[in-house]
Amino acid sequence: MIKIAQLSCGTEYSSVQSEIEKAAFSVGGKMVYPDVGADDVDDAVREFGFNPRSPQLKLMIARAVQLSKGVYDADAVFIATCFRCAEAALVRNELRRYIQEHTRLPVVTYSFTERMKSAQLLTRMEALVTIVTRKELLARERQTGLTAGLDSGSSTTKAVIMHNNKIIGKAWMPSYDVVESATTVLNQALEQAGYQLKDLEAIGTTGYGRFTLGKHFNAKLVQEELTVNSKGAVWLADRQRGEATILDIGGMDNKAITVRDGVPDNFTMGGVCAGASGRFLEMTANRLKIDVTQLGALAEKGDWRKAKMNSYCSIFGIQDLVTSLGEGKAFEDVAAAACHSVAEQVYEQQLQEIDIRKPIIQVGGTSLISGLVKEVGEVLGERPIVPADSQYIGAVGGALLSSGFLL
Amino acid sequence: MKKIFIDPPNSMILFDIVERLGHEPLSTMAALQERVDNLEIDMPPMNVTLDDVIKGLKYAGIEVPSGIRGRLAVWGPQIDAADAAIVMTEAPYSFGCVGCERSNEMVKYLLRRRGIPILWVEYPRDKEAAMRMLEETKEFLEGLE
Amino acid sequence: MSENKPRQRETRLIMISPASNVTPDQLARTVHAMGRELSVKETCYGCLLEGDPKTVVEVRDELRKLDPHGIYSKRRAYPAGDPRRCRAQHGTRPGYSQLEAEWKLLANLQHAMDAIDMGEKAPPEPKRNKLPVKEFKEICEVNL
Repeated sequence: MIKIAQLSCGTEYSSVQSEIEKAAFSVGGKMVYPDVGADDVDDAVREFGFNPRSPQLKLMIARAVQLSKGVYDADAVFIATCFRCAEAALVRNELRRYIQEHTRLPVVTYSFTERMKSAQLLTRMEALVTIVTRKELLARERQTGLTAGLDSGSSTTKAVIMHNNKIIGKAWMPSYDVVESATTVLNQALEQAGYQLKDLEAIGTTGYGRFTLGKHFNAKLVQEELTVNSKGAVWLADRQRGEATILDIGGMDNKAITVRDGVPDNFTMGGVCAGASGRFLEMTANRLKIDVTQLGALAEKGDWRKAKMNSYCSIFGIQDLVTSLGEGKAFEDVAAAACHSVAEQVYEQQLQEIDIRKPIIQVGGTSLISGLVKEVGEVLGERPIVPADSQYIGAVGGALLSSGFLL
Repeated sequence: MKKIFIDPPNSMILFDIVERLGHEPLSTMAALQERVDNLEIDMPPMNVTLDDVIKGLKYAGIEVPSGIRGRLAVWGPQIDAADAAIVMTEAPYSFGCVGCERSNEMVKYLLRRRGIPILWVEYPRDKEAAMRMLEETKEFLEGLE
Repeated sequence: MSENKPRQRETRLIMISPASNVTPDQLARTVHAMGRELSVKETCYGCLLEGDPKTVVEVRDELRKLDPHGIYSKRRAYPAGDPRRCRAQHGTRPGYSQLEAEWKLLANLQHAMDAIDMGEKAPPEPKRNKLPVKEFKEICEVNL
């Protein structure tokens, strides 16, 4: 059992504690609470330097200090507080930073409402457990043999065939039936590579449909997209050593992962709202009557400052867009404003929860929208690296890691 | 015998003193036991259920964090049922259910708004202060009869 | 909420003041010797009683006789050994730290109860008056 230390406030009074425990249990983890004596609390708060009013937050701090001093032994850390609590949000983020500075434990933070269910935590918990239990596998830098990676995402399904550290076949299509979409792209990629399914030595699956696909294709590796994508990203960008931040603005949710030597140590995953996702750009393209693949180039020519887009919701965002178009604003400015709005929201809602490490590697289907990459660069002060085949990170990660199971 | 709301509502000391003096303390423990023992629920909850947190909307709006609403759903009905209250101030401890300072402030406010007799006692730091606290509590509870 | 409603079980935590000579083992033996229908579990700070509410309260009253001002109690929401609360399962829940802090206060409380029983009156609270401006001014002049 992997011991996941829980530093939290409000879980037991938001009816989410059992959901947290259920999620941990289902991936082979167990929530534990670092023991703290009543006397340790004041000392810990003094040492940490932030003195919150709420005693439970003080206790969280004391538990973190126990972990940093190695008094209490755990494998990973889960920090969670109530959504909309300002005091707790400050403590949550500073504790995350403190744990990262003082330990090598992987951390994930979460702010919950009473509606949170274990399924929402599953991928995060699974990633924590993977980082602990598959350290050696995650350290793998070269793909060997003939393997395939399948990434079953919410919007698109991707397949990649790799042979001795080279991509020799790849294909993607919009997702519909999980198995059918995957079979189609896998066959296309195999055809391109000049091989047949029976030739493959191993398959790795990731993404929402990973369990179904893992079973169907008898995959050697079935793993969540946080760790798999980060491996794919550092392989594609040739940044296996040192630090980096991987940013994946997805169709349904966004991921930001910090890595050290290719292994993730902190990540955020979320997207409370479609206004901060690829979906919004699709809606924008539809409204502009262009294909989403043309949106990037159009946006690069425009200036977001010239069109008003100050809403945080995809519905109201589209209304802003309609208003701008009605006022006769240029299409390229409107496209740029949409990209800027997504970049800004990703920064405000998600990138606050991690410490960004340069370089930033932007991946996923939305990284092909150059206007979005430009705006992310403007918001973050440095244009992200977009490696070739950046939409195939999950599939590449799957092919790379599954080769670790070959004898 | 009167129903006395104690604050902190999980305090052993206040619970014990109120019982010693012949009254019924209304405590978090009792409120939670009802939920813990509820066999109609497939998976007994950790302290409160989703329904509780939603019932907490009676005391605080949706923009208030869930942990506060869940706590108020436990204490609110007790405050409504109390004949009087004893509140300990300046306590150097309070974790767990009383770990949220905003919830604690709200409890004190709800008590004041109900207009029931409230005794404010300071956390006793020595024997003499503890004697004063005991005497005040005894006098307060006797006065309720 | 219905403290008056009939309850199936009552779990009660018994805590010994740090200034008392009673031991947890002594509490447990006393309960066993009473031969009542309830379970008792020794803990590091006292014991846990569990049974029907009437029996639990009667046993608590008997235990208090061992040291009337040195033994304290409160109800507990979770049954004894409940995995959701059990320290061995996950480590301590937040309430444990609070209990530890309250335990330290019990000695003051015990001495206060003893004193009141002996007929002592609580000394009035020492008044903390503000320093008169004149005095403050003098201190400033001397020290600066």
